Amino acid sequence: MNRRRVLQRRIVAVVLAVLAVGLLTLSFREGENGFVHRVRDGAVRIVAPLQEGSARVIEPFRDGWNWVADLFHAKSENKRLKEEVDALRAAVAEELTTQAENEELRALLEMRDDRIYPEGTEFVTARVIARSTTAWYSTVTINVGHDDGVQRFDAVVNGQGLVGRVQSVTATASQVQLLTDQQSYVDAIVVPSRAEGLAAGSVTGGMTLQYVDKSEAVRKGQFVVTSGRSGSIFVRGIPIGQVENVSSQEVELYQNITLRPAVDFRKLDIVMVVKR
Amino acid sequence: MRKRHARDDAAPFVLPSGGELARLGALLLAALLLQTTVAPNIRILGTSPDFALIIVVSVALLRGCLTGAVFGFLTGALVGVALLEPLGMSALVFVVVGYFAGRYAETADLSAPLAPVVGVFMATLAADTMVAVLQFLLERQVPFWFWVTRVLLPSLVLNTLLAAVFYLFARWVLRGKGVLHADQTV
Repeated sequence: MNRRRVLQRRIVAVVLAVLAVGLLTLSFREGENGFVHRVRDGAVRIVAPLQEGSARVIEPFRDGWNWVADLFHAKSENKRLKEEVDALRAAVAEELTTQAENEELRALLEMRDDRIYPEGTEFVTARVIARSTTAWYSTVTINVGHDDGVQRFDAVVNGQGLVGRVQSVTATASQVQLLTDQQSYVDAIVVPSRAEGLAAGSVTGGMTLQYVDKSEAVRKGQFVVTSGRSGSIFVRGIPIGQVENVSSQEVELYQNITLRPAVDFRKLDIVMVVKR
Repeated sequence: MRKRHARDDAAPFVLPSGGELARLGALLLAALLLQTTVAPNIRILGTSPDFALIIVVSVALLRGCLTGAVFGFLTGALVGVALLEPLGMSALVFVVVGYFAGRYAETADLSAPLAPVVGVFMATLAADTMVAVLQFLLERQVPFWFWVTRVLLPSLVLNTLLAAVFYLFARWVLRGKGVLHADQTV
């Protein structure tokens, strides 16, 4: 009798585990209109307003925490920024000597004036209501979805630059894959050297510029923006980051370039979805 | 922690009453709300507290492995749905954690204050290991030292610190009497 009961309990546990694996498989294989996604739609409709409320309540505390953390880093940051400003001044003076480089700098100025988006581009303003609870995913949830005209793969930006792309959409909320996610890849171009590569995130939260040929002259402090190459979901010129470090090894085909993201992902609050 | 010869003091499994189901439902709702609305907006030591995991372990410790596994599955599935995570991942992890936390309570002689702390510590270790393995199987980067320093250690510290509070909360909701209340069947 005992043995039968023990067996029953084990069977229940195994069945539940198998069911969970089935759900996992289904969620990867199913299309956007499948059963699992419809259930998810309904659940998010309930949870999203609660997440939004919670985000608003917690925001002052998070800002306070960030402020304290920033204070600790302020001294070293100040020194680093001074060095960076000096390097940038020298770089800018050098770059201004050629016409081609001038054009690229002008493009940067235009970008800052929000002239990088084609006329008629529509934006949807959104608030970040939740962040991924695990270190394995760099994602945030925003409070707009299908109902607001948001589609999968729409670009998400803020005043600093490219934030990421819409990964999944429900009626009232969407999940955004941040640029720092380890499976985020964006066609990018270095300004003003015009070197092309792929801006990639990593599990550690850092960013690299991959597949840049060794013959390309890329220097620390240069800007990296979206390339807008045909087929890309991003328009040309959205800031991605700045080159932080460049190195190369003889045995490797490409340069090792690390980037500092233009966007401060710790302080994401209001973002804009660029409608296609 | 002495191993108990549980085959001798086996108690029959009794289906939970309506009131018991309502109390478990309340705990499920609490776990869901905390994990989907509060946890995503808190980041301490670079990680978010796993309220759902702590509550699953607490329920398993108080009600045994079968209830722990079922409660874990439901909590994991609902958290996955609401947080737009790959569905089934949390459910799988919580089924295993719920089952073995329940078994741990059924077979080890533990004083009530120690059980949640040890249980949550071990459950966090197991859950983080399982998630890392699943990430690896899903072809995502899983650098070992990143996992140890940025995932495992912070969540071990955070979850273990919160264990006692949530265990007391779960015990209060389930009207436990301060002793482990699990079915003793092996």
